[in-house]
Amino acid sequence: MTYATETRDLTRIFKRKPKRHLLKRKSAKKNEKENGGPVTALDHVNLTIKEGELFGLLGPNGAGKTTLIKVLCTLLLPTSGSAYVAGFDVSKEVNQIRRKINMVSGGETSGYGLLTTRENIWMFSQFYGIPSKVAKERIDELMHTFGLYDKKNVKVRTLSTGERQKMNMIRGFVTDPEILFLDEPTLGLDVNASRTIREYIMNWVRKREHKTVLLTTHYMMEAEMMCDRVAIIDRGRILALDTPANLKRMIRKESTVQLEVDTLKSTAPIGGIKGIGNFSSKDDIAHGTTNLTIIVEDESAISDIMSAITAQGSRIRSMRKTDPTLEDVFISMVGKGLEE
Amino acid sequence: MFKQAAWLGWEMDSNWTEPGLFLIYSIIKPVAGAFILVLMSFVALFIGTGNPDLGKSAMFAYLFVGNAFFIYVASVLFGCFQVIQSDREWYQTIRYVYMSPINFYTYIVGRAASKVLLATIATAVTLAFGVFALHIDLSMSLWDIPLFLAVMVIGLLCVVAIGLCLAGLSFLTAKHTHGLAEGIPGMFYLFCGVIFPLSVLPGWGQSVGRALPITYWLEAIRRLILPSSQIAQVTTGLEQRDLAGIIALLLISTAFFFLLSILLFRMTEYLARKAGIIDMTTNY
Amino acid sequence: MTEPGFIRLNVRALFGRSYPRVIGGTRELSWIFFETVLPILSIAAYVFIYKAFLPPNPDQTMLDKVNSLVGYVVIGGTMTAFWLNVLWSMASQLYWEKEVGNLQLYMMAPMSRMALLGGMAVGGMFMTSTRAVTTLVVGVFIFGVVITIGNPLLILAVFFVTLIALYGMGMMFASLYLLYGREAWNLSALMEEPIFLLSGFYFPVKALGQTVAIGASVIPATLGLDALRQLMFPVSGFGTQFYFFSPELELAVLCVLAAVFLVLAKLSLGYLETLAKREGKLTTRHQ
Repeated sequence: MTYATETRDLTRIFKRKPKRHLLKRKSAKKNEKENGGPVTALDHVNLTIKEGELFGLLGPNGAGKTTLIKVLCTLLLPTSGSAYVAGFDVSKEVNQIRRKINMVSGGETSGYGLLTTRENIWMFSQFYGIPSKVAKERIDELMHTFGLYDKKNVKVRTLSTGERQKMNMIRGFVTDPEILFLDEPTLGLDVNASRTIREYIMNWVRKREHKTVLLTTHYMMEAEMMCDRVAIIDRGRILALDTPANLKRMIRKESTVQLEVDTLKSTAPIGGIKGIGNFSSKDDIAHGTTNLTIIVEDESAISDIMSAITAQGSRIRSMRKTDPTLEDVFISMVGKGLEE
Repeated sequence: MFKQAAWLGWEMDSNWTEPGLFLIYSIIKPVAGAFILVLMSFVALFIGTGNPDLGKSAMFAYLFVGNAFFIYVASVLFGCFQVIQSDREWYQTIRYVYMSPINFYTYIVGRAASKVLLATIATAVTLAFGVFALHIDLSMSLWDIPLFLAVMVIGLLCVVAIGLCLAGLSFLTAKHTHGLAEGIPGMFYLFCGVIFPLSVLPGWGQSVGRALPITYWLEAIRRLILPSSQIAQVTTGLEQRDLAGIIALLLISTAFFFLLSILLFRMTEYLARKAGIIDMTTNY
Repeated sequence: MTEPGFIRLNVRALFGRSYPRVIGGTRELSWIFFETVLPILSIAAYVFIYKAFLPPNPDQTMLDKVNSLVGYVVIGGTMTAFWLNVLWSMASQLYWEKEVGNLQLYMMAPMSRMALLGGMAVGGMFMTSTRAVTTLVVGVFIFGVVITIGNPLLILAVFFVTLIALYGMGMMFASLYLLYGREAWNLSALMEEPIFLLSGFYFPVKALGQTVAIGASVIPATLGLDALRQLMFPVSGFGTQFYFFSPELELAVLCVLAAVFLVLAKLSLGYLETLAKREGKLTTRHQ
């Protein structure tokens, strides 16, 4: 079977450029020490995405999500291992791949400010050889769908963030790709713009045949709601891969306890308690509280948690046990929340 | 504040390459520009007189010195212009610098300071090339050195003041900053007797030149470092004034431009804030 | 829908990429000031230098020579528009595209990279030609330059082949610049005055000496300018005194240069794209 994308032991390492200084000359070793040496952005990644899937990639900043997308989009060569898109090798068969893909990133500022919204999208469509008439029809249709039609003759530099991102999405869809890579497509958008974009993506994959989307996101709800399968990636490694439901089932034997307590001086004592998995904490300065989400493997640990909190002189304001969410899965795997 | 801004200016200008390469780069451009004038003078002398001896040509010495010191004007004006352009469009840091307690006026002067340093090196290299390779006769008595230094300081203050006027204007003209940064020095190059005497210009052009302090700055420098016998051979259009008169005009016009720069800067800053374009970006 | 063939895809891509440049001239009319008045300023400064050197009461022979020299400056000043366009809108263009985020979208599109560069070049030539013609007409009018056109076909041939060679060179630079970060801006800045000098934008290139002038002929502007000047200011100026090779020979060399630069552009772009992808520099901003 040909997968939409497939990676085998895909590894990508970046060498860091030493910083040059006017007066101080540093040894190569010292430079490497200060800059942290090479960075492994992708570490033996094995991942297959099936045709027709809406696949989500979840991970904190610097996890390797964008690097993976760039490799699959033929923008970056693997350091080792291999990657295939629509059955073609990203290292050797780029021309075959490029006709079948497109990519949209959140917050991108592509295009030329002096062109209108419609002209900008049309220009990009020409790089895919779409006949001008067909392109313009599609652009108008998509602009209607995304609620951007009244801005079609407006110069791009006057668009708001949300409108610009809608334009970027139309640029991605106008070439009717087989595989669309979406890198944080709703980043920084308001609720309405995000909803429009999400709904269109889901309909596009579900209602058309052979369309695949690889989506990276920071928003757990987005991944849970939209994706057929989700992979959790951290430090270049795939930690878990399954449907959102199965991922949640993985930690069902564990329970999630959410606590709101007076601001804690240290969360270290909680980490040392036997019977708990990973946990995340977030201080709410305005309310003088710390919000804890703890994956509990053994419920007898709950009393130890409470003791550890009260030992710091902190008061427990609320506590509830919840069904695991995708965020809990993430905390369980990565050891911290997405927003930390 | 000034020191930090000057450091930042240097770092921003130079951080793209090795320091040695940066210095060479900073020198090659003006020296190549001087070479163009050398070749043009050579051709003109050859065709006009059949004797292209540049070292003996008073006109060549006139333009070579003018061009060498104009490096300061081009460099500092561009530097002042560039601060708002680069902080606004390129680094997009202007809003943070602007809202910090640093005086923005001081910040721009500081940022332009690295340009003065580089211009000094480029001017010195250009003049050294003129003296040693082209045998231009530069001489100055020991007594004139303090006066020369004073003229240099006044002239640089004047250039910075003009630069600040332009920096103020660039608050309002985001898109055309690059064109203006080249166009305004271009006008000074044309009207201030830099590479040809004022007398070559049509009457109205001479009037424009006489209203600009850079004309007097360059004239004062020439009178201080070129032999008077050579100066006398060129119809500069400023013969009727002695050195003291030229320096007095330079002082008056510098003071005027300094006041103008403060007023213009405050006014444009106010207008930019009113229009909400302090941190505008256009190159999207 | 069937996929477009190679030629159709790339013709559309070329047209698409040239569009912003072609349309740009009509959208931002400020160019009339910046691209015409500013070159006229520098042309004027250089014209006055020649006038300052020449005797006050010239005879007819001297007037012919002055006309030729002033004409040299006007044509050189006009050609600077193309050279600056090649530097700033060709050579460093891919670097700018990287900074605004366009480059990665171009590089993942199926079009040939030559169509992308070709689109930039065609758009740039169109845009700059309108500007250059304006500068030329204004320059000729203001400074009263007398031009003699003996062989218009040869002039057109030299002009267009020079442009193809120049933009071919720009295409080659564009790919070389892919590996640079902020150096790109500075490299372009560095290639202004030194090239104005080496290619004789404001004086006959032969004044540099035969050896230097031959070396400088690698830059297409050198021979293009010399040939155009020979064809527009024949003999009555300063005859063959400062002329380099014959215009026909210069045209032949320009044809070779055009072909070489286009081939080198293709090869270097392919090689450097791979290198940039390996080093991860294709999409990294603000290096």
